Amino acid sequence: MTTKKKRTPHSQNDRWVVVAADSAVETPKKDDSDPTFIRLRNPSTDAASLYLLGSGDVQLYEVKAFNEDFHSWFIGQTVQRDGRLLYVTPMDPLYLLLPYLIKAGKEGKFQPVDQVVMDEDFPACTRLLSCTRSQASLYHVAEEKEVGSLKFQRYSQERTMEWLKKKAERTVKTLRKSNISVGEGVKSTTYVRVKQESETQEEDYLRYAHGLISEYISEDLSKALLKHLQLPEHSSPKEVEPPSKKRKLTDKPLEAGEDYTKFNISDFSRKPPKKMSSAQKALAKVDKTGMKSMSAFFSPKGKAENK
Amino acid sequence: MDLGEFEADNSVSCRLASAIPDVCKTEDCCLGIDEAGRGPVLGPMVYGICFCPVAKKEDLKDLKVADSKTLTEAQREDLFRKLDEAKSFVGWALQILSPNTISTSMLQRSKYNLNALSHDAAIGLVQFALDSGVQLKEVFVDTVGPAEKYQEKLSQRFPGVEVTVRPKADSLFPIVSAASICAKVARDHSVKDWNFPEDLGEVDADYGSGYPSDPKTKAWLLKELDPVFGYPQFVRFSWSTTQTLLDSKAVTVHWDDDDEEDGEKAAARQNNTSMLSYFKAGSKTSAQQSNTHQTHRFFTERRLRSLATL
Repeated sequence: MTTKKKRTPHSQNDRWVVVAADSAVETPKKDDSDPTFIRLRNPSTDAASLYLLGSGDVQLYEVKAFNEDFHSWFIGQTVQRDGRLLYVTPMDPLYLLLPYLIKAGKEGKFQPVDQVVMDEDFPACTRLLSCTRSQASLYHVAEEKEVGSLKFQRYSQERTMEWLKKKAERTVKTLRKSNISVGEGVKSTTYVRVKQESETQEEDYLRYAHGLISEYISEDLSKALLKHLQLPEHSSPKEVEPPSKKRKLTDKPLEAGEDYTKFNISDFSRKPPKKMSSAQKALAKVDKTGMKSMSAFFSPKGKAENK
Repeated sequence: MDLGEFEADNSVSCRLASAIPDVCKTEDCCLGIDEAGRGPVLGPMVYGICFCPVAKKEDLKDLKVADSKTLTEAQREDLFRKLDEAKSFVGWALQILSPNTISTSMLQRSKYNLNALSHDAAIGLVQFALDSGVQLKEVFVDTVGPAEKYQEKLSQRFPGVEVTVRPKADSLFPIVSAASICAKVARDHSVKDWNFPEDLGEVDADYGSGYPSDPKTKAWLLKELDPVFGYPQFVRFSWSTTQTLLDSKAVTVHWDDDDEEDGEKAAARQNNTSMLSYFKAGSKTSAQQSNTHQTHRFFTERRLRSLATL
């Protein structure tokens, strides 16, 4: 009911609009920590990304933001300039553990996982190991040895590939169920469909799933997975380009139904005279006698200033 | 004049009309069109029509209707009362275009300017008279924009009716004067006791005439500006007076379509690849692709991004 609205100080980061699973925000049981946002190394970009650990570090969530130009929120009696919508969705912690295992795996030794998962830049990464799925699912990507009560792991590329393949297959199922269009769209113009339609569809789904999973693994793994899934390497845009349009220059006219000979002369590459806009044409016609050239104004000082 | 119907919801356009006199359904009639409140930054624009049998034109003169601008408010009220009392042969109808209608029309994505809005209001009222059974033969209009074009437009729209569009028609033809009185009285009433639908608390009712040049109106606009919402619907947002004030005093708001830059510049800002770039020599885009991580289209199509910080 106030007549004049007070403006709250401009602070961007005190509030967010979030869609999260109930499990992500549920109040902690006794002794458990609160759900917290943490920064961890993104396995795909190798840079920092934001994640959320549920209460007690039991479950990992990734944080994605819907972000489009020209959006703001009206929240209660306030306006929020930031029109983002954050999504907090469950995520398999193994994706984040994998880079550390791979790095340690290069030494070829079996090591306890808590010695492997360490990162100066992101010390919080050790908390990943408390997630319920972490320890139990390491066998998907590593060979394991048990000595007494201690467990040792060594990264295994074969196991990882099998694990990722299963992920891809499950993703395909979900993609089909959610009716997500996976067609190549515009790209398909350079894609020769030799297989039957249904098979091609299957391959489209698998390639799409591979692309999605590649958001969570390193580029090297992504390439290896492509091979493992027996998908042909995606041709880079450069290779896709049709062969050079310049024809071989010959002196003889081409024998073709249509007359292409005008393109077949040696000075084909010569550029046509530059076209002038109507304004430029009009300017060109102006009587320039007695007018200084523009460059005269920028010539070394002296002449103009001394006057 | 009972404006209750408009006041019930003054955010939209509203039509008010008298009963149609029986003679108007049987005898040839003339009709005048005029408007009130075209210029003000506050309040509605009102379109009015008045009609009567051609044979009764002289009776109208006896009422001494004249151009509404030459009359005092009291005289106009008096004349409107007389017109309303002459209901045996005079009918009227009004189209009240709320300030909100004017704002939203002029500021929408495909602009609908004030002249088009005016013409359509006039056409709507003439059509209303025809639909009500008035035997229209002559229509007199005070012009909006070039008179000839407007006359041609109306003549084409209403074949069989003789349309006369003249500047200053309100002082030339009594039937137009009558229409102008109806419009002006309705406008005065609606502005005088504007019913603010917004929850503004104590709002200052001393806003003057509503014309941008009126110092009272200026002062009111300065005082009532809300940094986020701007103004109540009483104010025409499409007026340059309003826009200047909003630009300088209110929070800047960016809209999807207020960026008139086109082509590559806009595309670059939106992180799109311009079509043109594909035809350029040397492939700058493929170089960019190899440097930075390409997010999968599942995410880019849904405008989803990873975050580094909150």
